Amino acid sequence: MKHLKRMLAICLAAGLGCSMVTGCTDSGKNNADKEKATVDIFQFKVEVNDALKTATQTYMKEHKNVTINLETVGGGDDYGAALRTKMSSSDQPEIFNVGGPQDIVDWKKNLEDLSDQEWIGKVAEGLLDDVSDNGKVYGLPMSVEGYGFLYNKDIFEAAGIDGESLKTYQEIDQAFGKLQEMIEDGKLKDEFPVLEAVMEYPVKETWVTGMHTANVSLGQEFSSATEAFESESIDFKYGDQLKDLIDLQVKYTSSAKTPSNLNAVDYSMQVGGGYAIERVAVIQQGNWVYPEIKNVDEEVAQHTGMIPIPLKGVSEGNIPVGVPIYWSVNSGSSDTDKQAAKDFLNWLYQSEEGKKIVVDDLGFIPPFTNYGDLAPSDPLSKIVAQHVKDGTIAPWVWTGAPTGWAQESLGVNIQSYVAGEKSWDEVVRESKADWEKARK
Amino acid sequence: MKRPKWGFWVFIAPALIAFILVQLIPAFTGIYYSFTDWNGIGNEVSLVGVRNYADIFEDSGFWRSFLFTAVFAACAVVSLNVVGFFLALLVTQAVPLRSLMRSVFFLPNLIGGILLGFTWQFIFTQAFDSVGKALGIPWLQGWLSTPATAALGLLILVTWQLSGYMMIIYIAQIQNIPDSVMEAAQIDGANGWHRLTKIILPLVAPAFTIGLFLSLTNSFKMYDQNLSLTGGGPYHSTEMLAMNIYNSAFKFNQLGIAQAKAVLFLIVVAAISLTQLYLSKKREVEM
Repeated sequence: MKHLKRMLAICLAAGLGCSMVTGCTDSGKNNADKEKATVDIFQFKVEVNDALKTATQTYMKEHKNVTINLETVGGGDDYGAALRTKMSSSDQPEIFNVGGPQDIVDWKKNLEDLSDQEWIGKVAEGLLDDVSDNGKVYGLPMSVEGYGFLYNKDIFEAAGIDGESLKTYQEIDQAFGKLQEMIEDGKLKDEFPVLEAVMEYPVKETWVTGMHTANVSLGQEFSSATEAFESESIDFKYGDQLKDLIDLQVKYTSSAKTPSNLNAVDYSMQVGGGYAIERVAVIQQGNWVYPEIKNVDEEVAQHTGMIPIPLKGVSEGNIPVGVPIYWSVNSGSSDTDKQAAKDFLNWLYQSEEGKKIVVDDLGFIPPFTNYGDLAPSDPLSKIVAQHVKDGTIAPWVWTGAPTGWAQESLGVNIQSYVAGEKSWDEVVRESKADWEKARK
Repeated sequence: MKRPKWGFWVFIAPALIAFILVQLIPAFTGIYYSFTDWNGIGNEVSLVGVRNYADIFEDSGFWRSFLFTAVFAACAVVSLNVVGFFLALLVTQAVPLRSLMRSVFFLPNLIGGILLGFTWQFIFTQAFDSVGKALGIPWLQGWLSTPATAALGLLILVTWQLSGYMMIIYIAQIQNIPDSVMEAAQIDGANGWHRLTKIILPLVAPAFTIGLFLSLTNSFKMYDQNLSLTGGGPYHSTEMLAMNIYNSAFKFNQLGIAQAKAVLFLIVVAAISLTQLYLSKKREVEM
């Protein structure tokens, strides 16, 4: 009997030990004799590569049976091409990124149905629409991002303009006009010696024009990327307002007199070599540029505000907010690896430790509703998060456009328009025709 | 004594296998895909006959790229060979520091095209712009933002990068010209111009065959410099054929159409360069 008691005690102790170990994991399954699993992550967000690497190491320390390899290939197009190569090789990743409805159709065969995952019910409303098909969910939203007119609070203050109050196209136009006049009169020269114009607009970057600027208008025509994806044609219902928005941004650059020069202005001239060094006071960008500005000048980064990007008379005071990319699990992987991949994603986005990593280290605005008080620390993400809370947002719809259309058709046509090679009517007509042709 | 036949195959095998694996087989699968509607992702591939080829003929973007590439290649061939040849002439004369100059002229060729593209992009958009602003010269400002400056920028970049390579080819040939011939000409009273046009140029002709061939095929197939300097912009005006094909394949997910374009591209490049080889060969002078 004594013997039995001791046995029981040992068993209980062992059981307690076991449950303590598993208590740290999320799967809740017996950890001791788990099969070895390898999870290859192939992702495209270069900015978070290091932080993500640290996160995987933390995870591996707690889950000895799982090996996670992280590989990052940056940039939109390069990632697409590289992913295709990866997927046709024998070395397929377990976790990869998809962008929206078109990717879901294209990669269908490789996508694991994630509808049964724990996190499903906790995703903020509407964020799964673009990766759902027939009631099945194929992606976990990586983060939430938003864009607008980023402005330098110090410059605005010196000029006596209250950036916070600017909402409508009219107000913004007037404020920018006033600032432009002051710059030209040299009134801000002492305080901001390199300041040369209100804005910089990188027309060379067709994602800034064809995706983001255009989305301000297209996001009112279509309610979601899925709706755009299902549409056979595009009307440019708010085409004139889009023209006004482009004209506004061109008008206040230093190239206003020779707008074709903007076709050589790229992202680095706009952000690092423009806004961050206080050469310009306003840029159309999103919260993702914060680290870039901070690298150049921390004070400028801290003193940055965001004016809602206006669609004249239609949608003013709203910030376009969306999910830049989703995590997907490869359905072709072995069951063990797939489970490990799902567990890792669940840990990263739902465990207390993971949530902290997502917000503090990766710097993401969480796409979930159960993050409590955890909030991003940089001022831009804070503003975007506030707009999400207030509901003053507009959707991102460009992932629903035909493949390549936003950049190679509309973005390129906007280049011609800015250079004066095409009239706005031609831009609209040709972009419409390209959309319809691609949908045939 | 007759050498055994198997020896031939043993020695040629490595090269032959590599050639078949990475050249021949992909070329034929490529031709096959040009008759399909493959999007480059799924396994669903269906034959569509010659529809891709028919589509190309209606694709104005492709023909604009084609025209630009042809014009660009013609300009590049002239500038590369003229500059390369005169550099070669320069460094084969008795000038000080000539071996140093040879290295310096050849050096750009050792830098990758992507890197060079970004370097020159900085020079054109920042350095040119600053100089232009400081001195009030308008044509130095806004480089790469108009089709003309973008194309010219590309030409300058390519000439700068590849003329050193052409120079090496011409140096080899110029040094092959026997001193006795030059001396005899000098004694007969031929001046510098005569020696250049009547002796050096005809005797260097074999090198021109190679130089023209290399510069022609190189500028036709150019991609990396194009990508990093202009990215095909502004508004696709400097998009060369290789980039147009890449974009159809990876930006529009039309692998079938891209392959059809590539096949057409192959035929055109082969036809042009073989014709050029044939014509140049006929003009060579044997010593």
